[in-house]
Amino acid sequence: MTARLQLYMILGAVILLAVIFCLLKRGLMSVKYSLLWLLLAVCLVIAAAVPYTVFVLRDLLDIQMPVNLIFLLMFCFVLVVLLSLSVAITQLAEKCKRLTQANAILEKRVRDLEDTVKGGKQE
Amino acid sequence: MDKKILVLIPCYNEESNIVTTVEHLRATCPEVDFLVINDCSTDGSAALLREKNYPFLDLPVNLGIGGGMQCGYQYAVRNHYDVTVQMDGDGQHDPAYLYNIVQPVLDGACDMCIGSRFITNEGFQTSFMRRVGIRFLSGMIYLLSGHKVLDVTSGFRAVNTRLAQYFSAHYAIDYPEPEAILASSLVGFRVKEAPVIMHERQGGASSIFGFKSAYYMVKVSLALIIDRFSIRKQKGGRP
Repeated sequence: MTARLQLYMILGAVILLAVIFCLLKRGLMSVKYSLLWLLLAVCLVIAAAVPYTVFVLRDLLDIQMPVNLIFLLMFCFVLVVLLSLSVAITQLAEKCKRLTQANAILEKRVRDLEDTVKGGKQE
Repeated sequence: MDKKILVLIPCYNEESNIVTTVEHLRATCPEVDFLVINDCSTDGSAALLREKNYPFLDLPVNLGIGGGMQCGYQYAVRNHYDVTVQMDGDGQHDPAYLYNIVQPVLDGACDMCIGSRFITNEGFQTSFMRRVGIRFLSGMIYLLSGHKVLDVTSGFRAVNTRLAQYFSAHYAIDYPEPEAILASSLVGFRVKEAPVIMHERQGGASSIFGFKSAYYMVKVSLALIIDRFSIRKQKGGRP
């Protein structure tokens, strides 16, 4: 890997870190969901700054080309993120359902109350 | 009768049937309370219910039949009903048979009583393919829980307070009928069936047809298997 490529890769990883930090600062992403992304950004910075780690991992997993290791890891990471999003959506849907139900029951109580108040005035 | 009975009628785009169903129920069983659950209908159902001054719950977003029924159970628990009955709004279920399913629950013979087409095999029996599907799901529930229920998709069922409490906390979102049977029998509630005669729906369209039936079978079968693992079986004792 040439020094220039390494520089660009470090730059890219640092930009990703900065973007995540920015999103967190503006409150566009909650800390809960940022942890995975922060982990990825830190790993990318390490891999770009110290490519030796990638070579060691490649030897450990017995993969021929280091780049394939990177692809594999990225794919696994995307899978984990997608799974965590499905879990988050399910939780949100459940909360939304509870709110809808509570609201519907409250709405009926208010309607009944309004009717009794109106009925009382007419008498 | 001093027991409070509530009939829940789910309503999603049923403006052509709902009034007939409700009036039929009122005429047949004037002593029971009823509650229409309008699951955010896109037709004039809501306006119609308001105009007729029927008691109804108005869900602000569409939750599907399960979410709507669960809301009805929450209402029933809140208002201390002894028996809660589900009855479809499309005229399939005849209120004349209401006490066939309510009485076993009132007597304490079971916690849930399902109105079944397949005990006496009288009245509307639905299409052949649907019967095959129902038979399959019925076999599956038997395998998973050891309880034999014939008409697993019947939405005509009565439950007591304790099961209503359970349903108000745990109820499947879409296509909940078979799942509710499995869940309640796994948790230890007693589920029974009583013969009723059903009619063909009076108007509107069934929510399950064509390609959706395949999706329905896959989804329900998978949900049943998962329920078997996620709900701890409680033998003998009731919760």
